[in-house]
Amino acid sequence: LTQAATVAQDLTAVAFVALGVAVAYHWYRERRRTQRALAAALITLAVVAALGRIPDPPLALSLLNLTLFMLSGFFVLLFRSEFIPLGRRTLLAAYLLLGFGVAVGLADVLFFQAAPPPAATLLGLGIITPWAIFVGEPVVRFWLAGNRLPAVQRTRLRFLSFGFGLLIAVLVVAVIGGRSLSSPAATLSIQLVALISVPAIYVSLMPPALLRRIWRLAEEGQVRAAMQDLLIFSPSRQVMAERAAYWAVRLMGATSGFVTDAGGKILAATGIDADGASELAARHPDTIVSVPLHLTEGTGKLSIVTGPFTPVFGSEEVAQLRGYANSVAAGIDRARVTERMAALESNKTQFLNLASHELRGPVTVIRGYVSMLESGMLGELNERGRKAASVMAAKVLEMNELIEEMIEAARLEEGDVNLHPVEADLRDVAREAAEVVSPLVEAKHRLELDLPDRRVGVNVDPDRTKTIIVNLLSNAIKYSPDGGAVTCQVRARAGTARVAVSDEGIGIPRDSMSVLFTRFGRVITPQTEHLKGTGLGLFLARQLARLQGGDITVASVEGAGSTFTLQLPLAGAEPAAAANDGAERTAVAQTD
Amino acid sequence: VGSGKLESAVLWWFPDHARTIRPPLPPPRLVRHMVQDATSRQIHILMVEDDAAIAEMYRVQFEHDGYRVTVATTGEVAVSSLAGAQPDIVLLDLLLPDRSGFEVLSALNERFPNHPPVVILSNYGEPSMMDRGRSLGAVEYLVKSRVTPSDISEQIPVWVEQGRRGGRRES
Repeated sequence: LTQAATVAQDLTAVAFVALGVAVAYHWYRERRRTQRALAAALITLAVVAALGRIPDPPLALSLLNLTLFMLSGFFVLLFRSEFIPLGRRTLLAAYLLLGFGVAVGLADVLFFQAAPPPAATLLGLGIITPWAIFVGEPVVRFWLAGNRLPAVQRTRLRFLSFGFGLLIAVLVVAVIGGRSLSSPAATLSIQLVALISVPAIYVSLMPPALLRRIWRLAEEGQVRAAMQDLLIFSPSRQVMAERAAYWAVRLMGATSGFVTDAGGKILAATGIDADGASELAARHPDTIVSVPLHLTEGTGKLSIVTGPFTPVFGSEEVAQLRGYANSVAAGIDRARVTERMAALESNKTQFLNLASHELRGPVTVIRGYVSMLESGMLGELNERGRKAASVMAAKVLEMNELIEEMIEAARLEEGDVNLHPVEADLRDVAREAAEVVSPLVEAKHRLELDLPDRRVGVNVDPDRTKTIIVNLLSNAIKYSPDGGAVTCQVRARAGTARVAVSDEGIGIPRDSMSVLFTRFGRVITPQTEHLKGTGLGLFLARQLARLQGGDITVASVEGAGSTFTLQLPLAGAEPAAAANDGAERTAVAQTD
Repeated sequence: VGSGKLESAVLWWFPDHARTIRPPLPPPRLVRHMVQDATSRQIHILMVEDDAAIAEMYRVQFEHDGYRVTVATTGEVAVSSLAGAQPDIVLLDLLLPDRSGFEVLSALNERFPNHPPVVILSNYGEPSMMDRGRSLGAVEYLVKSRVTPSDISEQIPVWVEQGRRGGRRES
């Protein structure tokens, strides 16, 4: 057992030396300023471990070893100071503590080699307390800091804290235990515990790719879900870029990240502000890992800023980042297209609104003068002049109609339409609508009104509803160039009132149905190309119907005619249950 | 297609328009008679309009029909000319270079509680603006492009009479 204890002691020392060498090599390769202090701490610790194995060391060696031990703890504190800089006073206190520790150590080595157990314990505590403070404070701080960090960084900080925490525990137990722990079994267990700290510290500094991947596993599931969200919902470009940066940072365990467009403009940044990001990119390009972001307007960059705990970026991780960037680029492009469409749509509405109001001015003047010309107020015109004036009057009215429809359409798009619903009889509305279009009916047409005997009560804006029916009727007449019957049938059934307007006209080609109700959508065929229209009428009619809880549907056979049906909810009852409900109410009223 | 047919279709297509032409126009032969008021005085119109072409067009119609017309091109001029001359009716545009027609109307209500009837003539037909105009006491709100000068000319005696009978609610 004694031999095993010795072997364990040697093994621990060798492990620490190996760790020291690995750290020294790693640091030499990277030469990262922030990790300088930690490397120094581990290298001194390795030297201490190696020197500690020299049997019967000369006094000077003991002194050196003790000083190095103290320094190793102090270096850990300096490492922590790289993250959260220590104040001047704290630093001064730390130096004093360092001096105190070294002094106690010197006293112990020089004068108290044969001190009695309680005094030896006190001296031992005097030496390890400063070390425990130097190391303990950063250990706690790193552990807590890990809470807010991505999985890889968090795990690495936890391992570092765990490793050093273990060392503190081992030292405290060894000093307090003193002579009672000098048995081979106790030595063996203490050495084994100390040995565990070596791999813990090692993986925290140089985590193998496999471990990193395991630590990241939970996050990768999340990032996949987030990426799916991005591709499905396409939020704004800004939000997309922000999320992309956020996930790149989490995925890579970087300290911060940002997204730049083709022009180098920073679209989004996380963990760093935009100014800081551009400054960093200009000053310390070596701390940044960037992958191309292939956007339609050029190649941007998805960049992450490596921090003290960011793993070395192996090719595997850069490849992963690149793949991620491709998905992000697709998403950002899509968001851009969606945004542009929305902006265009809104511009179009604004333009419609502005243009139509601006057009009203000139139209007023032209219409006014043309009416004066027509009336002969500005002097009598000859026959040709009167004809010209009447053509102009008709054209100006057409123009006016277009303007009015455009304004109405813009108003609808902006949701700026106020309806004034009242309880009305749909038969009356249909009758009035038929009256309005009667001037358009020529000899070859037959306009037939088919109304039920009973009242068809609807809760609608009668003016707007009449507008809809007038539109359907005038369309029916307009698209029946060869004449025929135009019927307007009003019916009430199952909670719904229907106004079906049928004609025997040219009908609508099947593949043109989809454009019928769109804004400015017109069905252009050889039969219709000479007919005038804005393509707004049916759009407005359907919008107005929908605003009132109804809709317009169409059935058509090309060459045989069309039927447009306006549906509106019947008044006073939920759809479907209407008939029943009405009957019950009547019954109650009678019993009362 | 004659203009009459088209006009009636356009007219009904837009409910707001339908409202503006009520009450029905008096027959033309009455109009001549009504251009002069009860005391046989010539009706004086103050037209507040900054668009010279529109103002000129209306002036041609109104003077042809025997009215006296004064044109004010800004809200400021409108308010001051109301203090000087005594127009029988004010035709008010809403989009003026110095302030909105609504502001002019509010100023009139404040400074001249017994001001003559005001008819708003605008390029805007938004229901909210129409409501605002009427709530400020305008006897009528018309969208210029929807009516001809003669439509307006024929209505003027009616509005003047309406104003005289206390068409404005607060008086």
